Amino acid sequence: MDLAIIEKIFAIVGGIIVFLVAVIAFWNDRKSVGIDNHVFKLMLVLLAVGAALAFFAAVGLLGNFPKAA
Amino acid sequence: MAVATLPHAQTADHGEVDRLYAETRDLRLNGFLLFLVSDVVLFSSFIFAYLYMRNTGQGWPPPGINRLDVAFAALNSVVLFGSGATMHYALENWKHGNFGRYAGLMVATIVLGAMFLCGQGYEYTTLYFREHVSWAGSGIFGASFFTLTGMHGFHVFVGVWYLTVLLLQSVHGVYTKQKYFGLTAGTLYWHFVDVIWVVLFSIFYLI
Repeated sequence: MDLAIIEKIFAIVGGIIVFLVAVIAFWNDRKSVGIDNHVFKLMLVLLAVGAALAFFAAVGLLGNFPKAA
Repeated sequence: MAVATLPHAQTADHGEVDRLYAETRDLRLNGFLLFLVSDVVLFSSFIFAYLYMRNTGQGWPPPGINRLDVAFAALNSVVLFGSGATMHYALENWKHGNFGRYAGLMVATIVLGAMFLCGQGYEYTTLYFREHVSWAGSGIFGASFFTLTGMHGFHVFVGVWYLTVLLLQSVHGVYTKQKYFGLTAGTLYWHFVDVIWVVLFSIFYLI
């Protein structure tokens, strides 16, 4: 199997897992108070966004540019 | 400083330590957040300089340079983001007294961080030897890519050592279930490193 396909499969599976874990962690912490917890929640949201971006990049919906000649 | 390193072993006056810890925790938290804000400013200045130069040039990437490998970058990104998730749950397990799980998740975080660095090293090697892209010899593209990702990689490298020290400290009883500011700071730092990579991954590989 082509190495690029293996990379994509791992990125897709990993992206889904990390996205779900980040969303669940955010949901569990949603009622926590304090500056540190608010920062954690913000960063968990951004982590979920990052995982989603990696997923979409792996499936070819983002960053799928034609190769230069 | 002495308060932060006091073990939970028998000390002369627990009440005094608790009072000092409570008084200084918020100060230290605010100081650490300010440090992270200053790092955001540092990265932002480089990111905006890169975006400005990119948009004033003639097409991107410049002629003679191929687009970066998105598939590998996506995989490496997932590795780093995964380490953010394990770090978050490491702290949660510490708070709930699950020290075994905490240690396991900390080790996982450190390993994933090191894997990300290895991935970045592989990407640099590939770019340098196969694509002939270098920091000094590839114009704005090479300079901005290696500067920004290198600066981020340095932060990850520091973070891996930082987390290793935190793990060793916690094993040796420096932190307790009630007093664990160092672990909170480490988690904040690691999340920050993740979030910066979300931005770098987007601007270098996805647009």
